[in-house]
Amino acid sequence: MRRRNAISRSLEDRVLDTVNIVLLVIIAFITMYPFYYILILSFNDGGDAIRGGIYFWPRSFSLENFQQFFESSKWMRSLIVTVARTVAGTAIGVMFTCVVSYGLSKKDLVYHGIYMKILIIAMYFSGGLIPYYILLKSLRLLNTFAVYVIPGALNIFFVMICISFFRDIPEELIESAYLDGSTEFNTFLKIVLPVSLPLLATMTLFIGVGHWNSWIDSAYYVRSENLRTLSYRMMEVINQTMQPEDPTARLYAAESSRATTQSMQMAAMVVALGPIMCVYPFLQKYFAKGIMLGAVKG
Amino acid sequence: MIKAIPSNGRGPFPRRPKPARSKARALRHKRFRLQKTLQLFVLLGMAYLLIFNFMPMVGIIVAFKKYSIQNGFVGIFTGEWVGFRYFVEFFTDYKFATVLTNTLAISLLKIAMSFPAPILLAIMLNEVRRSGFKRFVQAVSYLPHFISWVVVAGIMTAFFSESKGVINQLLVGSGLIDKGIPFLTSANLYWGLATWTSVWKSTGWWSIIFLAAIAGVDPALYEAAQIDGASRLRRIWHVTLPGIRSSIVVVLILTVGGLLGGGIMGGNFDQTMMLGNTLNNSRSEIIQTYAFRTGMVDLRFNYATAIDLSQSVISLVLIFASNAVSRKVAQTSLF
Repeated sequence: MRRRNAISRSLEDRVLDTVNIVLLVIIAFITMYPFYYILILSFNDGGDAIRGGIYFWPRSFSLENFQQFFESSKWMRSLIVTVARTVAGTAIGVMFTCVVSYGLSKKDLVYHGIYMKILIIAMYFSGGLIPYYILLKSLRLLNTFAVYVIPGALNIFFVMICISFFRDIPEELIESAYLDGSTEFNTFLKIVLPVSLPLLATMTLFIGVGHWNSWIDSAYYVRSENLRTLSYRMMEVINQTMQPEDPTARLYAAESSRATTQSMQMAAMVVALGPIMCVYPFLQKYFAKGIMLGAVKG
Repeated sequence: MIKAIPSNGRGPFPRRPKPARSKARALRHKRFRLQKTLQLFVLLGMAYLLIFNFMPMVGIIVAFKKYSIQNGFVGIFTGEWVGFRYFVEFFTDYKFATVLTNTLAISLLKIAMSFPAPILLAIMLNEVRRSGFKRFVQAVSYLPHFISWVVVAGIMTAFFSESKGVINQLLVGSGLIDKGIPFLTSANLYWGLATWTSVWKSTGWWSIIFLAAIAGVDPALYEAAQIDGASRLRRIWHVTLPGIRSSIVVVLILTVGGLLGGGIMGGNFDQTMMLGNTLNNSRSEIIQTYAFRTGMVDLRFNYATAIDLSQSVISLVLIFASNAVSRKVAQTSLF
């Protein structure tokens, strides 16, 4: 009796394990294959790719798509703008957020209660898109590079995280700096920031990815073609391909140039994904922290 | 009777003498001056919030006013009041029923699919014994969270385009169908497309929160269940799920609160902007994108603000309602 029970249990176990692992393999495949597919398509000759039937490796290997991407001044320009906005936006965003939250982390600050109330109201309510747009216009930020950097400079959600992080820094550490005659600013720069590196890394990742992926601001706050971001350029191409195929347009466009646009789009996507993929493995350990805080914010 | 006693909130005692109050103020000033660096830090942030958060909030009144963009931000205040005209216009708009139906349908479908999916994935991952494999699947499953909807749309065209998409190539090639299915340009397929892309993008990321919750379940409960002869499925049902109930409820409330935006996992706006097009518009246009287009494309700023505000009010009602329901039903609530 006992033995039969043991056998049946292990049988159930084995079936369950197998089904579970097979399903997880399928899930992993569905998640990963699209990335792999655009990678191989970007390394395949454009004219050849249009024939279809490429599933697991490039049929006719070629670097032409990337060559075209990097030679096109339109795409290169957008890449430079995107890199610039990501670097500038992330640096300013992280710095400003840290500075403000360091001040707010001190509970004995005069007017602390009022400041926190202002912060909470700003976190939960917003004016919505249109008043914001009118404001940007009035501040003459529209159609400038600054519109990418300044409006997102203070991330309230991260301010909340920073405040609780800074409050956990041992009091003795900061007091000893004061005793040594360090100014408030020096203490912040030389003591507080260095011990907050994990926090800075997490923030840099999330704010940086946000900047890198952003396209709405490029589409609607900017009119100059010189200021378009990489995501915006991709959106343009995708919108063209998403539209129903117009037979007259097909007549005009040579088959080969259509193909190249498609494959070049893949190359652009690979370029856009590259940096995210590169930092991804290093920053994985911070993800869990990020989402737990994100859930609190909602 | 009561009024006979001079009331200053402290009972029948004289007010605190004036000098003491100004002394307190002087003390506060002194403290303020001592904290001047910190105060400067904070005040920079407050100035920023005032400009970029509070001014737009005040600007909401543009929904109740006549307005022309030439008048800048000040024009919001000088414009003529028109009351609820734009709200009435929205509720009687010929597109109102369509956008409301789409918003609700897409959001509810997303809750039905992309809310349970991460719970399921977390449980499945938790049952894996080989930790290397588990970590690999986890790492892969987070990835879509970090890419933008633009790239997702690019991937979608590569896979689901009518003539060149991989799926249609395979289906046509194997002779199952004669002509590609217009996944991306068919109105009837849009709701499904929106739901499944959202599941694909968010499931892995949100499973983290449930995995953390599962890790917090007392192992002794599993052992006890095992000794009592509970099978593995039964252990999942009777130990794991009740163990993470409060996490489930919290995430559910947040999802319902953000319902019209597609829930916290949805990103309805970006998604619709990318995957919606002229052919599937009748099923893809949602309140947010409609407001956006009336504002930014048709330049009807007051009307767009009115639409936006209507949606915010509905969302607020939803989050309070779901919170109240969950407090009654599951004895867990956010506030």
